[in-house]
Amino acid sequence: MNSRFLRTLLVLIMVGSILLLVIPGAHAQGETPAIERLITGKVVDKQGQPVESADVTLDVSGEINPIAQVTTQSDGRYTLIVPSSDSIPENLSIRIQRAHFKNFDMKLGSSVISPLRSGEAVAMPMITLTRQINLAFWIATLTFLIMLLLMAADKLHNTLAALVGASIIFAFSYSSALLGQGLFIFNFQGAIKYVDWNVIFLVMGMMIIIAVVERTGIFQWLALVAYQLSGGRAWLLVTILMIITGITSAFLDNVTTMLLMTPITVQIALALGINPLALLMPEVMASNVIGISTLIGTPTNILIGSYANISFNGFLANLTPGVILAMVGLVIYSQYAYRQELQSASEVSPLLLEKLSERAHITEPVHLRKVGWVGAGMLVLFIFGENLNLVPAVTALIGATVLLVWIKPDIEEMIEAVDWTTLVFFIALFIVVGAIQEVGLISMIADLIARLVGGSLILTMLTVIWVSALISTVIANIPFTAAMLPVIGYLSVIVPGAHSKVLFFSLAVGSALGGNGSLIGASANMVTAGISERAGYPISYIYFLKKGFPALLITVGLATVWLLLRFLVLSPPPA
Amino acid sequence: MNEEEVRYIVCAVRGRPKSRATVTRAIDLALKHRARLTFLHVMDAEFLEHATIGPLSVIYDELNKMGQFTMMILCDRASRRGVSEVDYVVVEGNIRDQIERFILSSQADLVVMGKPQPGIPKSIFKENEIQAYIRQLEDQAKVRIVQVSPDH
Repeated sequence: MNSRFLRTLLVLIMVGSILLLVIPGAHAQGETPAIERLITGKVVDKQGQPVESADVTLDVSGEINPIAQVTTQSDGRYTLIVPSSDSIPENLSIRIQRAHFKNFDMKLGSSVISPLRSGEAVAMPMITLTRQINLAFWIATLTFLIMLLLMAADKLHNTLAALVGASIIFAFSYSSALLGQGLFIFNFQGAIKYVDWNVIFLVMGMMIIIAVVERTGIFQWLALVAYQLSGGRAWLLVTILMIITGITSAFLDNVTTMLLMTPITVQIALALGINPLALLMPEVMASNVIGISTLIGTPTNILIGSYANISFNGFLANLTPGVILAMVGLVIYSQYAYRQELQSASEVSPLLLEKLSERAHITEPVHLRKVGWVGAGMLVLFIFGENLNLVPAVTALIGATVLLVWIKPDIEEMIEAVDWTTLVFFIALFIVVGAIQEVGLISMIADLIARLVGGSLILTMLTVIWVSALISTVIANIPFTAAMLPVIGYLSVIVPGAHSKVLFFSLAVGSALGGNGSLIGASANMVTAGISERAGYPISYIYFLKKGFPALLITVGLATVWLLLRFLVLSPPPA
Repeated sequence: MNEEEVRYIVCAVRGRPKSRATVTRAIDLALKHRARLTFLHVMDAEFLEHATIGPLSVIYDELNKMGQFTMMILCDRASRRGVSEVDYVVVEGNIRDQIERFILSSQADLVVMGKPQPGIPKSIFKENEIQAYIRQLEDQAKVRIVQVSPDH
């Protein structure tokens, strides 16, 4: 074989290959090009929410195999492709099957079949599926309740309780192949869709930043500044401490803020000769109140912001005035509730003051300066990032990375500083909440609320705010909020005028301020009580209830007034 | 043990208002015997295990400082009353274990600690457990333990 022949052969192969690629149908010489006939449509549930992963089949009666089948997308839409090689018979029907919904069958009439025969695409009317209550419904519901009980009773670590819940869901789902389809809730892939990764990455980024901040000594220094500004006047001291703690909580995690503020507050109180609880209780309540004014201030806001796509500015603009109003009420209430303790303040011994000053100083000023710059940059991105479609999780990750590169701390130590148990908690919680959403419990609750409030926006707002606030006093507000989000999502569609996300802001107010109603209402309360007890000043459940519940009524009441004003008077929904 | 031989007193205390009587008794005994007095504070951070928080080292450090400050106030009180040799120790860990460990290593002659308050479920020592704990400690460390009621 000579080289000329080889070259010619190579050229022919290349030309042939190109022709095969560029000429449609060249590889199937003699076949007529297939013209696909399409049937499109959308599947929703009774609340009008899209139903994803429903199997849509086009069947011919009497035949086992469907002539076309497809699965609905995340927006509930489907497109059936009917092969042109098949003739279109008369007895066509569409069947939709989805776990936790009743099967839907629809015989296609001539209005669909005729256009299909002439090669036209057909748009089907929207199909509404009806929920089916089966064994899986009860399994998911019971699992969710058990998880909440384990958390409320403090029988298991929150993360472990959520993991137990997720494992039960999976155990039943995967045993359905053996024990019957009635047990199936969702598979792993289905479960993962419910995990909000925006929340996970935002929390993780903020944890890294907090790990750097807390080593700088800023909290302790701020507390001492509060003392110095007050000039030893206890009523002023408590007010300044409330404002400082609150503003810090608006940008950092409440639990970390209280963990670092409590020990130094106890020391200041002891130095002044007053009961530390007179400072700690107002501080932790202020932390719970002011935290809701920003997207990153509370875990519940992070959840709500991510689910409802509410930006940093959205929280600032819609909640901050209400928060200021609530804070005014809280400051006045705190002064009244602790008037006797605050009046008993004495002159600080110079020795103790010297010791306090020694301890309350900035330990890492260079790091603090860098944190300040990065924090300012992040704030700009949080505020203006929505114009670039920049999600808050990305801003937090960028901020954390810049800080790590700039400060160059021990990276192992920093990664250890990320509280992985919390992140796992969120993931497992999303799965359990996803399970009750999947089986229809959430839509059932939404229906019930909608029926109770009769489509009235004002009644829905009041219900969401106050029910959330009261429930948050007995169960942890993070799982409660996670479970309520899809309910609020449904209500926002059903209730006229609720599209403004007002119900999400109502949930933010209720679930976070409700934390002030009891000791177990917020994690920050628990850690404050833990530290206070170590200093010899225990905060009992009853004590917290006595002092906290009136604060709940005042702050939630004032925030309610603001929300009604903001969404019904200042910018009322269109008639 | 003869009371005249008391040269070193340890007062295991949290510093809460309810332990005022315990502290007062320890100061009285230190003055009476012209003994050295150490306030022992155990910082038990077990509650943090249930909190969803990240880096604990900073928190432990802050808790430790808080414990030191509380004890410093007690030392100040003892000094003002005339106790010439007074100091404090703050240790971290389980309260029972740490008290036991400190007393065994300190060679104290006398230990003053509070009695559990009846009806307080969160007391470290339950009423029925404290006597057994004290007997065991007295046997092991050859030390006399004085218990003080909160309403003493």
